[in-house]
Amino acid sequence: MSPLLELSRVSVAIGKVALLDRISLSVEPGRILGLVGESGSGKSLTAMAAIGLLPLIGGRVTEGEVRFAGRDIAAMSEAERRALRGRRIGFVTQNPMTALDPVQRIGGQVDIVSRMHLRLTKTAARARTLDLLTQLRIPDAAAVVDAYPHQLSGGMKQRIVIAMALAGEPELIIADEPTTALDVTVQAQIIQILGALVRDRGLALLLITHDMGVIAQICDRVAVLYCGRLAEEGPVGPIFAAPAHPYTAALIDCIPQEGTARGSLRGIPGAVPSALAFSTGCRFHPRCRRATGLCQDSAPPLLPRDAGSVACHHAGAAP
Amino acid sequence: MTGPLLRIEGLTKRFHSGGGLFSRERAMIAVRDVSLEIARGEVLGVVGESGCGKSTLARLILRLIEATNGRIVFDGTELTALPASALRAMRKRMAMVFQDPYSSLDPRFTLARVLAEPFRVQSRAMPPDAVAAMLAAVGLPETLATSYPHQLSGGQRQRVGIARALALRPDFVVLDEPTASLDVSIQAQIIALLADLRDKMGLTYLFISHDLGLVRYFCDRIVVMYLGSVVEVLPDTKAAPRHPYTDALMRSGFAPDPARRREIAPLGGEIPSPFALPAGCAFTTRCAFASDRCRSERPVLSQDPAHPVACFHPL
Ligand SMILES: Nc1ncnc2c1ncn2[C@@H]1O[C@H](COP(=O)(O)OP(=O)(O)OP(=O)(O)O)[C@@H](O)[C@H]1O
Ligand SMILES: Nc1ncnc2c1ncn2[C@@H]1O[C@H](COP(=O)(O)OP(=O)(O)O)[C@@H](O)[C@H]1O
Ligand code: SF4
Ligand code: SF4
Ligand SMILES: [Mg+2]
Ligand SMILES: [Mg+2]
Repeated sequence: MSPLLELSRVSVAIGKVALLDRISLSVEPGRILGLVGESGSGKSLTAMAAIGLLPLIGGRVTEGEVRFAGRDIAAMSEAERRALRGRRIGFVTQNPMTALDPVQRIGGQVDIVSRMHLRLTKTAARARTLDLLTQLRIPDAAAVVDAYPHQLSGGMKQRIVIAMALAGEPELIIADEPTTALDVTVQAQIIQILGALVRDRGLALLLITHDMGVIAQICDRVAVLYCGRLAEEGPVGPIFAAPAHPYTAALIDCIPQEGTARGSLRGIPGAVPSALAFSTGCRFHPRCRRATGLCQDSAPPLLPRDAGSVACHHAGAAP
Repeated sequence: MTGPLLRIEGLTKRFHSGGGLFSRERAMIAVRDVSLEIARGEVLGVVGESGCGKSTLARLILRLIEATNGRIVFDGTELTALPASALRAMRKRMAMVFQDPYSSLDPRFTLARVLAEPFRVQSRAMPPDAVAAMLAAVGLPETLATSYPHQLSGGQRQRVGIARALALRPDFVVLDEPTASLDVSIQAQIIALLADLRDKMGLTYLFISHDLGLVRYFCDRIVVMYLGSVVEVLPDTKAAPRHPYTDALMRSGFAPDPARRREIAPLGGEIPSPFALPAGCAFTTRCAFASDRCRSERPVLSQDPAHPVACFHPL
């Protein structure tokens, strides 16, 4: 199947600071692509680039192109891009309160999406909203539409934001850390709901998270980002079985599992640097256990490997 | 000295809200009749969903807030009966690391000042080189002493929070979700640091988290809370859950292994409002095993010392 969303070697800058460096990824209908990396690795910026929202934060694409259903979004008018965003692409943010208006009732906020993008009447839009809330297993939807955001729990608010993202009948959903602020029980609900939407409606989903557990649970492919560059990309099965990039391996190894020996988790030393202090060569080298002189001097190119690609001078299963 | 380092008995905290001109006063019980013991050198985990009372329990134990009911006995001394002066002396043996490394450090103070603060509060002379030693103990370079909190990453800030908590060499530290706002990569660093410090300084920890996987990795025993009450105490990290809620928590975590992907059967139902708990077991609204008895009678924690559970139909 041809990809619905495709980024080809997209670079992004804000002012003079280069933040993303030649990111390529694609999402197909009925598939889930996970985008993973630590805080500050560039996940949200990638999402902003994908929906043409960079100008909002003073950023711009400096290289490469973003195509939606085969069309270059840079070649579209702003009106076309705006229509694309509510209608064909649904967006779910990490903090539901940034998407919800605190002084407006829930129902009206969801209704407006289908009234605007599907040109539904007031009554039809409300019926659609109630239907959506019920599908998202919101108990007592008829009462919830009359509530204000602060009256709902974090998990409920996040489901409302998903309902808003779905209201325009999008083909693609971009969810930026939709469960990071939530309890595991609620996270399990939201992840199940997202998985079912992809399975039942053939939606394409770009799921951003910093949790390799979430990636392993529902994604088909995963793209690992570090300091604005792709470290590794490919199908989840082989990547989790034998991560070729040391950063991918390290992210997986940070999570305690059944049987993880006490004291065996050490984390990744150091921290993600700011964009002004990216290292020369491979940007991961100051934190990498496999780093050599070559890694300090030259940036590893992203090369095809099995069904994906990897950018590392010493790619392969950990010794 | 033998006996537990800390023992709490029947600890209860009731909060009141509203009661103004236009709103009826409402009361909720944030912590209900909690009793537990922590042995010297033990890491006791407390786990539960947001709002279940974990931080309130921590604040009660450190007497940052007053209990409505109950006793706290620290190293043989009952804190709840102690006059203020004696309590202050006792307090330096107990410390807390807070959840949010962004708001728990005063932005106007350099790290040197942040780390000197515990000495000032206790009117104690600070040994020379103490700041450098404290920074080194948590793996931070001495050069950071003149930095301000906003110049640090989240992980560095949490290291400062730990250094500050350990400044007066306490015996007992409450860790309130110390890694909740950090990346997993940094979380693992901080947990490793906490384990090293416990070994070096002979510390006893109360470790609060909403992540059962993390708690099972780090703690010796685990207290599971639901809406203010202890519903189960797992005697070790391998113990199979007996309470349906603990079981649901375990099933909600995702292993970083696509080969162990599972059919997700999320916990249904909603958490009841803490202002309007069901008459019987608080978990009835979400429990697959709820019976008529569960809906009318509140289960109490069994006295079974091997594996206490508060449920009429344990697994
Ligand atoms: N508005 C902005 N102005 C300047 N730099 C920015 C801006 N937004 C992001 N950056 C920088 O871009 C890099 C990537 O940021 P981004 O927010 O995309 O990362 P992220 O992986 O989503 O992190 P997080 O998980 O914390 O949201 C960081 O170095 C960040 O400081
Ligand atoms: N000062 C307070 N006044 C009123 N209610 C409070 C206060 N502090 C905590 N609560 C309530 O007590 C319950 C438990 O809170 P808390 O201990 O913070 O839970 P947790 O740390 O597990 O998230 C929550 O419902 C919270 O709203
Ligand atoms: S290129 Fe070198 S430093 Fe970078 S990830 Fe590979 S081994 Fe590590
Ligand atoms: S007492 Fe009843 S409702 Fe409560 S957890 Fe046990 S079986 Fe479920
Ligand atoms: Mg982000
Ligand atoms: Mg808390």
